[in-house]
Amino acid sequence: MKVNDWCMYCGECAGVCPRNLIEVKETSIIFSKEECKDCRLCMQVCPIGALEPEE
Amino acid sequence: MIKTDVLVIGAGPAGSTAAKHAALGGADVILVDKKSEIGAPKRCAEGVSMGGLESLGIKPNPQWITRKIEGVRLVSPNGTSVWLTSDTVELPEAGYILERKVFDKHMAMDAARAGSRIMIKTLARSLQQEDDGYIVNLETMGEEFQIKANIIIAADGPESRVARWAGLNTATKPKDMESAAQFEMVGVEMEDNHCIEFYFGGVAPGGYAWIFPKGDDIANVGLGVLSTKTSKSAYEHLLEFVEDCPATKNAQPVELNIGGDPVGGMPKKLVTDGLMVVGDAAGQVNPLTGGGIISGMTGGMLAGKVAAKAIEDDDTSKERLREYEKLCHESIGKEISKYLKVKDYMLSLSDEELDSIAEAFKDVEFEKISTTELVKKLVKVSPRALLKLGKLF
Repeated sequence: MKVNDWCMYCGECAGVCPRNLIEVKETSIIFSKEECKDCRLCMQVCPIGALEPEE
Repeated sequence: MIKTDVLVIGAGPAGSTAAKHAALGGADVILVDKKSEIGAPKRCAEGVSMGGLESLGIKPNPQWITRKIEGVRLVSPNGTSVWLTSDTVELPEAGYILERKVFDKHMAMDAARAGSRIMIKTLARSLQQEDDGYIVNLETMGEEFQIKANIIIAADGPESRVARWAGLNTATKPKDMESAAQFEMVGVEMEDNHCIEFYFGGVAPGGYAWIFPKGDDIANVGLGVLSTKTSKSAYEHLLEFVEDCPATKNAQPVELNIGGDPVGGMPKKLVTDGLMVVGDAAGQVNPLTGGGIISGMTGGMLAGKVAAKAIEDDDTSKERLREYEKLCHESIGKEISKYLKVKDYMLSLSDEELDSIAEAFKDVEFEKISTTELVKKLVKVSPRALLKLGKLF
């Protein structure tokens, strides 16, 4: 998951992550890449399209 | 290590209310929030009913009320309007538009005045279960520290992680997570700026758009969509809506808010040993309207009271804390279940069906304005609704 600059840290991605891997601080997102199964639910729900798959 | 009876994680209205009532019940309470400013940025349209505040023992305060609402306008996809205003319909309870940035702080201040200790810019990072509670690892201003608490109240919003750390399944499925985007705008030209407006259909797939007035030409203009019903983001839908809507095409945004709204109802389990979950984290949201301030605060109040009694009884087991779960399902759960069915029915309607319902609604005489009254009338004007929802209300 790539977090784009316009992310507003609302945390919606964290709420749907089935593995509870996304931690939203006030102005940053901590994300465990190793454990991610690339389900992309976080990208699907982001209200501003700030999350993208890693190239 | 800091020790406390009750640790509330998240100082939204639900968390602050939980902290307040736990402290009023005699417990030592710490309330933490990861943000540097409680209540900011706001993540809702700020509407609340006066009856709801009364039920929580909160007196309306002009410091956090921006507008008294005197009616509702419902707009179908083809622009058909149904007006429900105080000159034609009895208002069972006044509605208010809040200033959440002030309201949320006032609720946290109430918690502090009741005896809670508040820690801002404090993020819970993980927790470990102990025999008599939890040790929570937290971080503030780059410094890590621990709090040992007998009871944790997880009030960490739609992005909730705390309850899941303790093994509760509170993750929201995308089909149940309303993705919302909202502008606070100036230069809004509403037909009646004392009425709230709802727009249904393709403007917001799986949800609706709203205009909630906060002043003569100021309003919250937003919408919620289900990501399973559209390929566009909520923000893209919002840009289209404000450009096309006559009330907002000349308005300008002064604030952008985004966030999720869990509209799938409450999970079955709201407690485990030494932990209760409240507010958005517990799905305490009306699934039809997405409104969750009062229901979340109600959950918070119940959790706070049960926590204080459990501390007094020296029993924080899940069996003891199930009193909260029972009270929640009795007071909030039944309504949520009803509105889940209505939501599913509404989601099944096409734009044409919504238009025909609006046409039929135009001629209906209402006695009161409330979500329940609207649904009751819907059952009368729509044969399909009668079939699906006839025995609900």
